[in-house]
Amino acid sequence: MSTATYPPPPPYYRLYKDYLQDPDSAPEPPPPIEGTYVCFGGNYTTDDVLPSLEEQGVRQLYPKGPNVDFKKELKSLNRELQLHLLELADVLVERPSQYARRVEEISLIFKNLHHLLNSLRPHQARATIIHILELQIQRRKQAVEDIKRRREEAQRLLQEAIGTLEGQ
Amino acid sequence: MDIISQLQDQVNTIASTAFNTFGTLQRDAPPVRLSQNYPDPPPPPPTNPPEDASNFSEQPKIMSAALVKAAKQFDALVAALPIAEGGEEAQLKRIAELQAENDAVGQELQRQLEAAEKELKQVQELFSQATDNCLNLKKPD
Repeated sequence: MSTATYPPPPPYYRLYKDYLQDPDSAPEPPPPIEGTYVCFGGNYTTDDVLPSLEEQGVRQLYPKGPNVDFKKELKSLNRELQLHLLELADVLVERPSQYARRVEEISLIFKNLHHLLNSLRPHQARATIIHILELQIQRRKQAVEDIKRRREEAQRLLQEAIGTLEGQ
Repeated sequence: MDIISQLQDQVNTIASTAFNTFGTLQRDAPPVRLSQNYPDPPPPPPTNPPEDASNFSEQPKIMSAALVKAAKQFDALVAALPIAEGGEEAQLKRIAELQAENDAVGQELQRQLEAAEKELKQVQELFSQATDNCLNLKKPD
């Protein structure tokens, strides 16, 4: 990819010279990109998924598997964190030069905690969809009831009007 | 704020409380006695405010109490998580059911709406005929 200090604007404007007379003479807009693309020298992807901990080179402390019990794992990670903080305090008192290993373990626990919380987000999204669908069903049922009620009232008024007219 | 963001915030609070605790204690700790051969240095002239020593012995207690409180709050938030058992498949099944029910109710609503609009048109038609008749029958003064 060539770079210049003050690059000129792209020359594509010439293709649109006759756009007002003939809109089809100009090229179509480019189709949406799929997969990975390069933008200003950086690689990006259109497939947004949370990368697993192994892909980031971090050891996973909670058990893998299809269904993770989030509450239990979060609580046990919290307890582990507190124990490690106490260990760090002990190490600083007795063998201050060995703090690095303990600090590494504490940061590992924090990374696991944040990864667990991030993997709760899809669950939250589905729960939000369920809630919205339920609300929508409730509103639609309410609207059906309202329309039925109004129709019946209109029928009643018409019958009354007929009665009044015939009575005259 | 939703509960997952609160949980993430709480984790960050625990982390910042922890490193503030260790950093402050390590920075402000008085020097340790290495051996009997090297006695303590003579105390500095009393220009320092006397609250320094009492503050320092209280600080580990205050800061560790804050840390434990933050951890307990995290546990309380985790207990408040509204996670239904069943996992992803149960949620997707429920979404499919709700969508089917939504479609059915939507069609019912559409039918009622069309019937109501038809009746409205009829009533409007009748009303305009009645008013025309009224106007035609009314004798000009």
